[in-house]
Amino acid sequence: MNVPAAAGTGTPPWFSPRPGIGYWFSSFTSMIRFDFAQARQWAAMMVFVQVMLGAGMSVVYGFFYPHLTPAAALYIATGTPTLALIPLGFSLIPNSVCQQKLAGTFEFIWSLPVPRSAQGASAFLLYTLLALPGMVLALVVSAVRYHIRLSPSPEIVPAALLCALMAISVGFGMAVAIPKPVVTSLITNALSFVVLLFSPIVFPLDQLPGWLAVIQRVLPFYNMAVVIRAGLTHGVVTGLTASFLILLAWTAVGWALTAWVVSRRG
Amino acid sequence: MGITALAPRPAGVLARAADWGNGYWVMTRWHLASLRIWLAVLAVIQVLAGGGSVLAVALFFRRMPASAALFMATGVPVINLIMAGILLGPQLVAEQKLQDSYEFFLTLPVARAAAAAAWYTVCLITGIPAAVFALILAEARYGIPLSVSAAIVPASLLTAFTGTMLGYALGHAIPSPMLTYLLTQVLLFGVFGFTPVVFPARQLPGWLAGLNWWLPFGHMAVIVRAGLTTAAGGGIASSYLIVALWGLAGALAAGWAVGRRR
Repeated sequence: MNVPAAAGTGTPPWFSPRPGIGYWFSSFTSMIRFDFAQARQWAAMMVFVQVMLGAGMSVVYGFFYPHLTPAAALYIATGTPTLALIPLGFSLIPNSVCQQKLAGTFEFIWSLPVPRSAQGASAFLLYTLLALPGMVLALVVSAVRYHIRLSPSPEIVPAALLCALMAISVGFGMAVAIPKPVVTSLITNALSFVVLLFSPIVFPLDQLPGWLAVIQRVLPFYNMAVVIRAGLTHGVVTGLTASFLILLAWTAVGWALTAWVVSRRG
Repeated sequence: MGITALAPRPAGVLARAADWGNGYWVMTRWHLASLRIWLAVLAVIQVLAGGGSVLAVALFFRRMPASAALFMATGVPVINLIMAGILLGPQLVAEQKLQDSYEFFLTLPVARAAAAAAWYTVCLITGIPAAVFALILAEARYGIPLSVSAAIVPASLLTAFTGTMLGYALGHAIPSPMLTYLLTQVLLFGVFGFTPVVFPARQLPGWLAGLNWWLPFGHMAVIVRAGLTTAAGGGIASSYLIVALWGLAGALAAGWAVGRRR
């Protein structure tokens, strides 16, 4: 922020108690420049880890089957983008926020003279864009491994964007809401592990017991797999509207959690 | 802490042994006291994740083969035994480095080997409840025929030792905390997914099964499974040897990383 303070007055000219929408957008673009410049250090690493985890998990699921049928292989391959996204949103991002908290940069960023909503929006945009290459690359690896021919439709674009935004919003919300970094680290690692075990991402929902299937319909993980699989195949998935609505609702939960934490006084 | 811990190193062999034992005891108490919440959290997470894995394996199949349940039930205890050492150990050291308390711990007047032995004890204590829980759960859920023999004692002790020493080496040798966090998670994921611990080696591609023969994790599963079931194959002795060699290598690497001059 290279704005000189106005001579004679106690407050600089950009500081006003009721900043307008123009001020918000100029803050937002500044924060994007700031965040993207910082991200250059670790973005490649993040995409790499995401591809390794997503593709790695899809390969590992195959090891559990003594004999893999083509239908099971199709489910695993089209579940891969979701597998790549869940550890990113629910583990890597909360943990990187925790690192910032431990190193003290988290408070520094909050102390910048820009609206916190602009900071949050910038972080969400950055992470969402960074999540996409990893999803695509993991899918490619998995499709090659299982010899799957995919038929992507335009639906995949909103599906992938919404899934990425949802995972990041919820993960970010968790990270800012839990005060102790070590607790966040343990919880996110273990939770994403348990979630991945019990979520019908790489196998059909009807293999779950009834009560668990009901829970999974409300949680985001199965619904992510549904909308992404629908964008990659023909005739495998039905009932998309409910899944999109549930994902939107979880995105709103993540934003509400973040807004609640950052707006209260520390 | 007793006054003996603050005195200069004693000269006689007996006195040194007593000093070592005192250091071990003090450090064990130190870890248990300072980590009581984290260890409890980790133990609970291990119970949940281990029990979860045992229950979840049935969901992957419409009709589950018996070997899938058996391998998951006897593989999860292996993961539990090494998890505190391989995941929590390096991450705690990384956190100490971030908070600048790492050098303080190195200055404590305790033999380094005593400190390592104390940490091993703590990791072992943390892993055992979850391992037992996973076995009981598997027997209740799938009716797996378990026959626990005395061989489970050396198998568990050695498995936990090698896991702890590998984690100890990672934590102390890697300077960057962020890299430590990443590597430990990749390692745990790799052990769970790419080594024949929770599924048979024959379900891996040939080259990966071959590579795993040189790594300790599949052998940990062999020796622990041999202590839990009667269906043990051959090659138990070589499995013990390979796990022991990796544990020794980890201990030496950790010793080098802790003992070198900065």
